[in-house]
Amino acid sequence: MNEEAVVEFRNVTKAFGERKVLDDVSFKVRAGEALCVLGRSGTGKSTTLKLLIGLLKPDKGQILIENEDIAPFEEEDLSRVRRKIGFMFQSAALFDSFSLGDNLALPMQRLNKCKSIDEIDRAVDEALQQVGLGTDRAKMPSELSGGMRKRAGLARALVLKPRLLLIDEPSSGLDRITASEIDDLLLKVKKESQTTMIIVTHDVHGARRVGDQMAVLDRGRLVGFGTADELQGSDNEVVRNLVSES
Amino acid sequence: MRTITNFLTEAGEMSLFGLNAMKDAFRPPFEWQYFLRQLVEIGWRSLPLIVAAGLALGVVTTLHTRSTLVDFGAEAMIPSLQSMAFFNELGPLVTGLLMAGRVGAGIGAELANMRATEQIDAIESLSIDSFKFLVVTRIVACILALPMLTVFMDCAGVLGGFFSEHAVSKISWALYVNRAVNGMAFANFIPPTLKTSVFGFIIGTVSCFFGYTINEGSDGVRRASTNSVVLSSLLIILADVILVKAIFFIFPEQAI
Repeated sequence: MNEEAVVEFRNVTKAFGERKVLDDVSFKVRAGEALCVLGRSGTGKSTTLKLLIGLLKPDKGQILIENEDIAPFEEEDLSRVRRKIGFMFQSAALFDSFSLGDNLALPMQRLNKCKSIDEIDRAVDEALQQVGLGTDRAKMPSELSGGMRKRAGLARALVLKPRLLLIDEPSSGLDRITASEIDDLLLKVKKESQTTMIIVTHDVHGARRVGDQMAVLDRGRLVGFGTADELQGSDNEVVRNLVSES
Repeated sequence: MRTITNFLTEAGEMSLFGLNAMKDAFRPPFEWQYFLRQLVEIGWRSLPLIVAAGLALGVVTTLHTRSTLVDFGAEAMIPSLQSMAFFNELGPLVTGLLMAGRVGAGIGAELANMRATEQIDAIESLSIDSFKFLVVTRIVACILALPMLTVFMDCAGVLGGFFSEHAVSKISWALYVNRAVNGMAFANFIPPTLKTSVFGFIIGTVSCFFGYTINEGSDGVRRASTNSVVLSSLLIILADVILVKAIFFIFPEQAI
């Protein structure tokens, strides 16, 4: 595994009004590594992902992606950084009025403007086949089941072949078997393309399978960081409870 | 006092929202593809409703006016009265109100749902200006679709009037049309039709404002669609009063 940090949070603080959602959080993720972020609801997990893709700006601190601090970036520079990033939203966030194929083509058209229509078509087919939706290109999001929507959201995140994949709650709202299938897909992507991943999840079982490292957030603070085994022996009760599989 | 302050704040925010949309409409890059999609959704898909409403309204207004005009032996005035009523006021106003119901509710609910399901975040994560992509395209589509739909409503109203009149008096189509257009002037047709662009701006701005800015899950979707219909209908009626007065001022012959 490459030792160079692809993502680094340096003393990041973010508040919404009076409520501090992230308080002086620092961590690093190395290339090809999967970091799973755990924590109770409202502890700043999804905010972390939105800061990483520039949808939110930190109040303090630096957010480095491949050694570039994106915190002060304007839209043009963010657009360049976003070409390296795939984002899978918790609800998949597929555009309801677009077919599945169009949902995947949009990032290609917008962030990869030099691609021809044929190249876009091929990339869309490839991404859909990768997640097992090769025959569903013409379907509308409303025709897809929960698991299919998650897989479609993952396909859209993968279509630009990102170096960094941000995933928000991949298994939420899914049964254990479907959640496990999503984890298998993430493992496959990680193995085949050495993509660096940051996964926000409540599913410890999945986090242990996919994640190389785990970060535990509690009330906006990073209270644990390390492998599952390291965190199992943490002094912090919240960390032990969250990482424990039982 | 607080209610008044909130109302004024929201009115100010909504006005700025609409002005920014108009400013962005002339700033490249232009979202042609998505704009055409909206024009089809807002204009083309509303056509059956507009034509059906126009036909029905045309029949009903002719039935009502006939019974009165017959008493004065003035039934020959029916086509002219029908076209004047539709081209001057009924067509534009009814089109505006119908579209406030159909499109206003649809846009409000759709955008609020997109906000609640993170679709707007997803658009921004692709470095797409969500305001230009979702709001500007819809407002401009409303501005352009309303006058076109009004022409269809006007024609359907006159046609409905003909069906009704033909059933009673066996008047020919040629004579009916001749009487309907006789006495019609530029000022009876163009300004009232173009004023519906203002109605389109109102519908687009109000419904996009509620849909785009509300972020409260399913309750937000309900509130966005209800508020969009209620406020745009009210503003259309108020704007109509002002616009009619303005048309009378610019084209005084119409007021006579």
